[in-house]
Amino acid sequence: MRNHFLPLALSLLMAAGAQAAEMTAQEIVDRANRAAYYQGADGRASVHMQITDGQGRQRNRHFTLLRRNNPGPGGGGQKFYLYFHSPADVRKTAFMVWKHIDSDDDRWMYLPALDLVKRIAASDERTSFIGSHFFYEDVSGRTPAEDRHELLEQTADYYVIRSTPKQPQAVEFAHYKNWIHKTSFIPVKSEYFDGDGRIYRTYQALQVEVIEGFATVIRASISDTRIGGHTTLGYSNVDYNLDIAEAIFTERYLRNPPRQYLR
Amino acid sequence: MLALSEYTAARPRIGFIISGLLSLLIIALVAAPSLKPETFQFLHPVHIDTDPENMLPADEPVRVFHNAMKQQFGLYDMVVVGVVNRRHPQGVFNVDSLGHVYQLATYAQQLRWEEQGRQRGVVAIDMIAPSSVDYIEQAGLGAVRFDWLMSRPPRSEDEALAVADRAMRIPFLNDTLVSRDKKAVALYIPIVSKSDSYRVAQRLREKIATFDSADEYHITGLPVAQDQFGVEMFKQMAISAPLAMLLIFVLMWWFFRHLQLVLAPLIVALIAVIVTMGLLVISGNTIHIMSSMIPIFIMPIAVLDAVHILSDFFDRYPALRDRKATLRAVMTELSAPMLFTSITTCAGFASLAFTPIPPVQVFGVFVALGVLLAWLLTITLIPAYIMLLPEASLSGFGMQASASRHTPMGRLLQCVGNITFRHGKLILLATVLLSAAAVYGMQQIRINDNPVKWFDQQHSIRVADSALNERFGGTYMAYLALSPPPAAGTDLEAELPVRLADLQPACRQPLMRQIDTLPAAADADPLAQLIEFALAQQWAAAGDSGWQCWQSATAVLEQMQQQRALFKQPQVLRYVAGLQAHLDSTGLVGKSNGLPDIVKTVHRDLLLGAEPEFRIPDTVAAVAQTLITYQSSHRPQDLWHFVTPDYRNSNLWIQLKSGDNRDMSALVAAVDDYIAANPPPVALQHDWFGLTYINVIWQDKMVSGMLQAFLGSFAIVLVMMVLLFRSLWWGLLSMLPLTVTIAAIYGLIGLIGKDYDMPVAVLSALSLGLAIDYAIHFLARSRYLHAASGGWEQGIKAVFGEPARAISRNVIVIGVGFLPLLAAPLVPYQTVGVFISAILVFAGAASLLILPAILSLFENLFFDTREQPPCETTSCR
Repeated sequence: MRNHFLPLALSLLMAAGAQAAEMTAQEIVDRANRAAYYQGADGRASVHMQITDGQGRQRNRHFTLLRRNNPGPGGGGQKFYLYFHSPADVRKTAFMVWKHIDSDDDRWMYLPALDLVKRIAASDERTSFIGSHFFYEDVSGRTPAEDRHELLEQTADYYVIRSTPKQPQAVEFAHYKNWIHKTSFIPVKSEYFDGDGRIYRTYQALQVEVIEGFATVIRASISDTRIGGHTTLGYSNVDYNLDIAEAIFTERYLRNPPRQYLR
Repeated sequence: MLALSEYTAARPRIGFIISGLLSLLIIALVAAPSLKPETFQFLHPVHIDTDPENMLPADEPVRVFHNAMKQQFGLYDMVVVGVVNRRHPQGVFNVDSLGHVYQLATYAQQLRWEEQGRQRGVVAIDMIAPSSVDYIEQAGLGAVRFDWLMSRPPRSEDEALAVADRAMRIPFLNDTLVSRDKKAVALYIPIVSKSDSYRVAQRLREKIATFDSADEYHITGLPVAQDQFGVEMFKQMAISAPLAMLLIFVLMWWFFRHLQLVLAPLIVALIAVIVTMGLLVISGNTIHIMSSMIPIFIMPIAVLDAVHILSDFFDRYPALRDRKATLRAVMTELSAPMLFTSITTCAGFASLAFTPIPPVQVFGVFVALGVLLAWLLTITLIPAYIMLLPEASLSGFGMQASASRHTPMGRLLQCVGNITFRHGKLILLATVLLSAAAVYGMQQIRINDNPVKWFDQQHSIRVADSALNERFGGTYMAYLALSPPPAAGTDLEAELPVRLADLQPACRQPLMRQIDTLPAAADADPLAQLIEFALAQQWAAAGDSGWQCWQSATAVLEQMQQQRALFKQPQVLRYVAGLQAHLDSTGLVGKSNGLPDIVKTVHRDLLLGAEPEFRIPDTVAAVAQTLITYQSSHRPQDLWHFVTPDYRNSNLWIQLKSGDNRDMSALVAAVDDYIAANPPPVALQHDWFGLTYINVIWQDKMVSGMLQAFLGSFAIVLVMMVLLFRSLWWGLLSMLPLTVTIAAIYGLIGLIGKDYDMPVAVLSALSLGLAIDYAIHFLARSRYLHAASGGWEQGIKAVFGEPARAISRNVIVIGVGFLPLLAAPLVPYQTVGVFISAILVFAGAASLLILPAILSLFENLFFDTREQPPCETTSCR
């Protein structure tokens, strides 16, 4: 329901936004990628994750997410730091991701109860993000170069892009469709299709606000019909351009969390 | 009753017209909704039900619990595909075989369709196949990796073997996905509904047929077995039952040598079966394993009375040479015994209506109905049929009683009669010895059943069953649910104020107000909601003091939540692991899977894969962090098959190699004993579910229910006999052959080690019904002939004339007629075939030996020389 108001809200927010001339599908996707994952030089948010399973049973998680773009033009490598506040038994657990464009990402986790820092060499980015319906890739962003993009249609508010993987055996979807808002370039909906052409997974941006000049998704959800249920992420205390030191995104800080950014 | 026979004999066509029209009407009422369900929605179509679960009513607590647990843990029934390769040194772990396994798994995941808006077929996400499961392993210094076990078909023999090696390290996969000899693989394909299994299995078979390989594919699992049973059941209804009918017909023809005449019992049996089965379907009952056997039970009983009439007619006609006069004499002598035998048979089957098992109730009621119908048809149609035959066609029929006496059977029976008269004591002694052996045998009876063993040993289902259970942990699933007792931990409202007492008022008061607003709904987790509330306050707090106050509030609430999350506590997990180890040591369990296995595996691989680290870590937080690591895999949802997200309920998957009820019962007892001797560290209750367990419950109900039903009908029949003979002694005497027969049959079952299972239990009702028949006929006619011939020494000669021949013909016709059931590929049918024949022989022999022996020994007790001939023979007319 809320989603019906999104285009209007986005348009009002972004009234002064760039007016695109004829853009190619690739250009649209690149801009959307930057709008969704690269706002500012760095950023921070408190995240409330609510996982609702197919039976309506809910689990809540709270964590702080820090992000820093690698220097250089937008759309390049990034570093992420994630620190758990709740539930209590995973408090102080931390994750770190170094996102690379041309190679597999590096991932680490710190498990305080085992006093253990572990590198996770995942086979792909499409494993569950801490038990939710989100994949790691949904949090850190799928590299646009991994898919071929085609502009299916333009509505009054959206570009509708169809993306097909270049390496189909590496992913579980056959293709996905993206609705990208024309003025803000925020992707507001993605639908993932299986080999039989059925939609099984849906991402939706539920609420967008302009924070410090950046259009920011502050509520988003993913549902998955194969396992049932959905996960909602709510972002609060969003801040951009905090000048987060690069040193924060190292193994040392997994064990010694940077308190100044976590409250 | 006699009047009814005379009425129809006078108007022979009317009975045929009525019963013919009735049969046609019933066939139409069944065919219409079955062939055109849309047009005839108000009628019930034929509905086949092969689900042993339906042996219990849908609202039976064990079934309700089973379904609730399946829902709670997201469990589905599974089609199991075992792949075996006996030629390749690496078994199926070679490039070729795994390539096919990969193809089959990919194909299976797409076996989905929609039916009435519901997704049906395979639950792809929960499939267990090399290409669809995750494994965890060391990936270089300080790194772990989650990856698909077999993300693509292997390209070399080494790669293929590596798939097996990796899987063997994961307890959940070892012995489940990969056989313990590392040679075979099994795919577990969950399906939305059991009724989808046949379609899924068929499609898999088609796909497998396209592979050119040396691999053996075995498809099994309880749902497949059940569906297969339905298919075979239909075949049996179409083949075995008519074949039995045909053999009975041929035997009757051989005895009576008159084709047209012996058609009559056939027609009676056919109409009785059509009308009974038709009424079963029309009344909305399903054709279940039990009800599919109704025709087989009705047929011998329907033919029974007709054989008595024909036999008597056969022996008398040559003397009288007049159909009408012969019929009158025959019906005069037989109508009362036939009525009573039918009523007693009815009582025997109707008593099954009091068992607690719906399919058995339906079976009992409809067989009783069929028996009454057969009786009515026999006494009306058989005389009518004889009257319809031209007198000329009977010219050569029958033989003089004297001639009949000189057939081998006639001579043998006369001889038997002499022996019983002279050596009664010997016969009684033999009976006592036999009974003693029977009592001993009955004590050896082993109560056991196993739906997979309803298939013949050579059947592909049985072959698959043994191939898989030889190599893997077991294909029979039972589940043990562990949960806190209902009372524990619900008194949150009392606990909260105490626990929050130390907080500063600034956050305690808003929190207490919040508690009052919480919904009372049982399924809502109030603690989780309070934690969310406190956390929101914490983040919104302006100053440090507010932050700290709410932080401590959150901490108290979270601590409470942790204490309630039983299955994150190390001591509870260790206890469960101990229980699992005990299960494995019983020899009954092939393998068990549980939450402790997941925790131990991930913990080991987090700590460099060292075997000593294959253990439950020491703190709640360490367990929780191990589990959150696990949830970063491709299949985090697998966790919820073993524990609920609040960690208050857990579930052990137990694989048994045998689906025998007695093995399951032994396991239940072993777990009870273990838990009694080793109480859990927190209050936990344990409850079983799963199809293997449900089978035990319905068997228990059936055994006790059948015993009660049998004792009840025994008492009813005894009372009826006492009333019929107007004598306690005659009543008791008439019960003797069936008592000996049943004791002998069940003694035999105990001695030969045949399991007392569902069909065997039902046979007690059949024994009661058939054995009493012979006794009634024998005794009623002994009394009649004793009076007619003026003494027992003369009487017994007459009794061993026509009456004994009728009984013997019955025994042979029906006993032999049921032997074709032995060729059926379904064991319950074989059992019924063998035991019907055995019961008939025993009951016939018991009636012809024991009854005359006792009558001879205690002539004065049973025959009052002043007594008038009893009512049911001549004086009632």
